[in-house]
Amino acid sequence: MKKKTLSKLITELRNNEHIINWHEIEPEEAKTKPIPEMIDERIRKALWQRGVGELYTHQYSAFKAVESGENIVAVTPTASGKTLCYNLPVLQSIAENEANRALYIFPTKALAQDQKSELNEMISEMGIDIKSFTYDGDTSPAIRQKVRKAGHIVITNPDMLHSAILPNHTKWVHLFENLKYIVIDELHTYRGVFGSHVANVIRRLKRICSFYGSSPIFICTSATIANPQELAEQLTGNPMRLIDNNGAPRGRKHFVFYNPRVVNKPLNIRKSATVEVNNIAKEFLKNKIQTIIFARSRVRVEVILSHIQELVKKEIGTKTIRGYRGGYLPNERRAIEKGLRDGEILGVVSTNALELGVDIGQLQVCVMTGYPGSIASTWQQAGRAGRRHGEALIIMVASSTPIDQYVVHHPDYFFDRSPESARINPENLIILVDHLKCAAYELPFKEEEKFGPIEVHDILDYLEEERVLHYNGGKYHWAHESFPATNISLRSAAQENVVIVDQSDVANVKIIGEMDRFSAMTLLHDEAIYLHEGRQFQVEKLDWEHKKAYVRKVDVEYYTDANLAVQLKVLEIDRSTERNTTAIHYGDVTVNALPTIFKKIKLSTFENIGSGPISLPEEEMHTSAAWLELKEIGPELKEKALEQLLMGIANVLNHIVPILTMCDRNDIHVVSQIKATHTGLSTIFLYDHYPGGIGLAEDVYKRFDEVKAAAKDLIEKCPCQDGCPSCIGMEIGGMNAKRKSIQLIDQF
Amino acid sequence: MSMTKKLQRMKKHLVREETAVPIKKQQENIRHWDMWEAAGANIFHFEGEYCITRETHYSLDYQHGHYTFLDAERTIEDWSSFEGAHPLSAKGFSSSDLYFFDTETTGLRGSGSVIFLLGTARISGNRVTVKQYFLPSPGNETALYAKFLQETDYTTLVTYNGKSFDWPQVKSRHTFVRERVPALPAFGHFDLYHASRRLFKHTMESVKLVNVEKNILGIERIDDVPGHLAPIIYFDYVERGDPEGILQVMKHNERDILSLLTLYTHISRLVLDGSTRKDDRTALEIAKWFESSGNVDAARMALAQSAGRGQDNVALEAAYRLAMQYKRRKSFEEARMLFDRVRHSRSTRALDASIELAKLYEHTWKEIDEAFKVTEQAIEMVTDERIRKEVEHRLTRLERKKSKDLKN
Repeated sequence: MKKKTLSKLITELRNNEHIINWHEIEPEEAKTKPIPEMIDERIRKALWQRGVGELYTHQYSAFKAVESGENIVAVTPTASGKTLCYNLPVLQSIAENEANRALYIFPTKALAQDQKSELNEMISEMGIDIKSFTYDGDTSPAIRQKVRKAGHIVITNPDMLHSAILPNHTKWVHLFENLKYIVIDELHTYRGVFGSHVANVIRRLKRICSFYGSSPIFICTSATIANPQELAEQLTGNPMRLIDNNGAPRGRKHFVFYNPRVVNKPLNIRKSATVEVNNIAKEFLKNKIQTIIFARSRVRVEVILSHIQELVKKEIGTKTIRGYRGGYLPNERRAIEKGLRDGEILGVVSTNALELGVDIGQLQVCVMTGYPGSIASTWQQAGRAGRRHGEALIIMVASSTPIDQYVVHHPDYFFDRSPESARINPENLIILVDHLKCAAYELPFKEEEKFGPIEVHDILDYLEEERVLHYNGGKYHWAHESFPATNISLRSAAQENVVIVDQSDVANVKIIGEMDRFSAMTLLHDEAIYLHEGRQFQVEKLDWEHKKAYVRKVDVEYYTDANLAVQLKVLEIDRSTERNTTAIHYGDVTVNALPTIFKKIKLSTFENIGSGPISLPEEEMHTSAAWLELKEIGPELKEKALEQLLMGIANVLNHIVPILTMCDRNDIHVVSQIKATHTGLSTIFLYDHYPGGIGLAEDVYKRFDEVKAAAKDLIEKCPCQDGCPSCIGMEIGGMNAKRKSIQLIDQF
Repeated sequence: MSMTKKLQRMKKHLVREETAVPIKKQQENIRHWDMWEAAGANIFHFEGEYCITRETHYSLDYQHGHYTFLDAERTIEDWSSFEGAHPLSAKGFSSSDLYFFDTETTGLRGSGSVIFLLGTARISGNRVTVKQYFLPSPGNETALYAKFLQETDYTTLVTYNGKSFDWPQVKSRHTFVRERVPALPAFGHFDLYHASRRLFKHTMESVKLVNVEKNILGIERIDDVPGHLAPIIYFDYVERGDPEGILQVMKHNERDILSLLTLYTHISRLVLDGSTRKDDRTALEIAKWFESSGNVDAARMALAQSAGRGQDNVALEAAYRLAMQYKRRKSFEEARMLFDRVRHSRSTRALDASIELAKLYEHTWKEIDEAFKVTEQAIEMVTDERIRKEVEHRLTRLERKKSKDLKN
C-alpha cells in the first residue's frame, strides 16, 4: 500500500462532514539576534556544538534583562528553547564566579530529572566544573551532604523545598549565602491551592535568603496564560519583566474541531469521542505519520492505546505505539521520550503528563479526546504538534459533554479569547497560618516584620496565645516540640488527609496515596471504586476515625458516583449587587456536607446498575461563596418546577464556571436551594471547595456578567429539544424548560 | 568581613569578663529567682540577653556506679602507655583536657529545634566540675553560646551519640548567632555511643545510655525525668517561669554527663587491661575493635583470650579470626589447628574454616587429597545456593588437579 503524505490527508480531511471548524495558523520565520559578546567562550563553544549559532529574540531579551538585574517571566510556546532563557544567565554567572549558586524549582520530580540530564550534557560540553544535582525524595543520604556543600545548581521541587530544605537551612548555608538565581519553570502549574501554598513557600525562601544576605533574581518560565506577569509577581513578590517576544520559527498549523454525529436525538448523545479518535489516529499511524493522542484520564489512555494497537498491528506493529501517563516508571518514560525524538515510536497516547515540558521533539499530528478543560491546556497539547518547518495538524474531537459542545460551537471563544488567568490566593488564612508556623520555626519573626506584603502581627499574637510561638526580645520564637512542615502538604486541601492503604498483597501492605477529607467522603467511602494509576481499587473499609481507607485491587466494569447532601449557612456578606428582582452576593459561608448514597455506573453505557448507602458523619467547612438570589418569581412558576429549573441552571454553571475560572471541576461546587436557610429565597450558591476559599467564588462574583452570558449561550446553542445532560439536564419534562431557564437567568 | 563587623566581634571578646558579674536588679526580674538561687544558679548577661548557668562540684572519691572519679582520672592517664591508634585513645591528653558533654533539645530534627541546655563535666584540680548553661527562653541564644564557647574546649569532647546528634545541633543553632559569637572550629570527638554499640549491643535491646548504666555500669536512676519529657517541661517553664521541672531536667542532664565519665572509664579499661574483660564475648568485641583500628598485636592477644577452649559460637568466632591472623602471619601450623577446631564444631564459622583450611592444603602445602577431603566435608554444611556453586566449583577443580597428579 502506498503511504499518503500529511498534506494529502489534510486535503482529504477538508471534505469530512463532521469537521465543524477549520482554523489555520500562518507559519512564522525565526527571529534571532547574535549571541552577546560577553558570553563566556566555553559556553559559546558548547552552544555551537549544539547547533546554536544565534539566539532567538526571546532568549536574547531574557539574557539581557536578567543581566541588568531584572526578574523575568518568559512566556513561550512548547519547543521554543525556553530552557536557554534561564540556563544561559545561570551558566554565565557561574562561569564568571565559581562561588555563585542557583536553585531550580520544577513542579515534578520527573521534570527535574529531565532538566538535570539536559543541563549536564551542556555543562560537559562547556568543560567547566559546574556541579548540578537534583535534590528530592530519591536523593540518597550519601550524596545529600555533597549536594548541600558543592552543588552549583540544585534542582528540586516545591514540596522538597518546603519540607526538607527550608526547615534545615542551617545545613544549606553555602547555597543560601551565594544564591544568585532562583528558576521557577512551568510557572502556570502553580495555581489554585497548590499555587497558594507555593507562593508562601517562596516567601519563606526569600526570608531565609535575606537572613544569609542574598537576594536572588527570579527567572520564571510559563506556558501561555492570560496573566503570567501577575502570577509571577504574586508568587515571588518581586516586580517582573514579561518576556514574550517569541523568536522561534514554526510551520503552518491546522486546528480542526471534529464533532461526532448524534446517535440519540432526544438525549443529544453523540457517537463516542474515543471511538472516533481511534479511527482518526489509525488513519495517520498507518501512513507512518507521527501522532500524539491526548486523553483525559489514565484509564482512557489505556483503553485508546489497546484499541489503536489492535487496529494497526498488521500495518506497523504494536511496539511503535506507546502509552504515557503518571504511574509509569521513570526509565520506561525516558525510553518512550527518546523513542519519540528518534522517530522509532510513531504514536503515543498520553494524559496531560506530556503537556509539561518533557522533551519529546515535535510530532506532526495531535489528536485530543475531548476538550482538555482549559484554553491554556489545549494550546499546550496542541503545541506538541508542529515542526519548525512543514505542516502540522491538530484535531480536537468533541465528546457529548456540555463543555466540549460549548467549545466546538464557539470557535471564537477559543481562538479569539486570551487563555485563562491562573489564580492564587496566598492570603487564604489556613494556608497562611500554616506557612507562618513553618517560617517562625525556620527563623524567629521580628515584631515589625511582614510576611511577603502582609502584616502578620495579629496572626503571630494568635499563635503566641496558642503557645506555638513565644514572644521575647522583640521577636516571636518557635516554641513547640513539633516539626510544623510535616503536617502540611502543598498538594492537597484540608490538613488532615485520609491515607489510602493498598492491602491487595497481605504480605506487602503499602500506602499508595492520600486524599483530603472532603473529597474522601465521596471518593473513598466503603465499596467506592477508586482509580489509582489506571488501576481500579475497591475500598474495603474507610476507617474515618483513624483517617485510613483500606483498598484492594479489583477489575470491574463500573465506577461509583456518590451523592452529597449539602447545607449552606451564610456567615457574612462582604459585597452585594442588587438588581430589580434579584441580588448577587459574595461572602463567607459554612458548608455542611453529608454523603448519602452512591451509584454504580457502568463504564461503557453510563447506566445505573446499583446503589448503596454511605454512612459517614457530617463534615463542616468554612469557605467563600458567591450566591444568586431570586427575590421575585413569576406567579406561574410552581415550586416543584422552580426547584428543577434551579437545579438545571446550577448544572449549567457547574459546567461553565470551571472553564471561565480555569480551575478543576472539583475546586468549585454549585448548589441550588429552593429556600435558602438565611433568607427563605430561592438561591444558587457557588463555593470554593477548599477551607477558607481560594478566590474562585470571588472571581465568579466579579465576572458574573460573563458567567451569565456564557450560561445563556450554552443553553441556547445546545441542539437538544428541551433539555439534555449537556445543558440543563433532562429531568424537566414538558414545560419549555430551556426557555424558562433563560428567562430566569435573564432576571439576574 | 568589614572592619566594623570585625571590631564588633573583638569588642565582645573584650567585654565578656565584666558582663559575667551578676547585676542584682535584673535578676530580680527573673521569676522565681529564689528557687534558682537555692539551686546554685548564676546569671550571665550578654548584649541585652542572658542565660542561666550552674556549677556543681564532686570530689574525686565520689563513686558513680562501679567507679570513682579518681578511677576515671587514672584511666585517662593510663592511655599514655597505650601503643597504637584507637578511637578512644586519650594519649597525649591530660585528664583535665576532656569535656564530657551532653545537651537537651526541644526536638529531634530541623533547624528550628532549639538546644535549651548545654552541660559539660571536666576533671580539674582534684574535683569534677559540672557546668550547665540554660536558655531561659528562646531569643537568648547569643548569651548561651557566648558563655558556653568561652568556657569549653570543644576539641576534646566526650559524648553519647554527639557525632551525629548533639554537635550538628550545636552547629545548626550557632548559625543563628554566628555574627555575634566566636566561630566554631573543627572539633575532636570521642563518641561513646558507637563504642557501646560495639561492645554491648548483644546484651541489651537498645543501647540507650540508661540501659548501659543499668546493665553495665551499676547505676540506677532514682526519680529521674525521662528525657523525652524535656521539651514539654521546657516550654512549660518558658510560659510559667517555675524552675521546678527544669531543675529536674538539669539533674537528669548532670547524671547523663557523669555517667559518661563512668562509661569512658569502663570502656577504656576494657581496652587497656585484658584482665577486666570478664567474658569471651567482650574480649571478642574488643579484639574486633582492635582489628578495625589496625592494632594487630593487641587484637591477637584479645582473640586468644576470647578463643579459650570453649565450643560456643563466641569462642569459635574468636578462634576463626585468630586463625586468620596466624595465616596472614604465615604461622600456618597454628592456623591449621584452629581451623580444624572450628570446622569440627557446629559453629557458624565451620564452613568458612573448612574452606580456609582447604585453601591452605591446596595452595600452601600442595596436599590436594587433603584439600579435596576437607572440601567434600564442607559441602555437607552448605545451605546457601550461591555458596554451593562456589564450593562445587572448587571441588571440580581439585578433582581435575587430583587426576592430573595421578597421571604425572
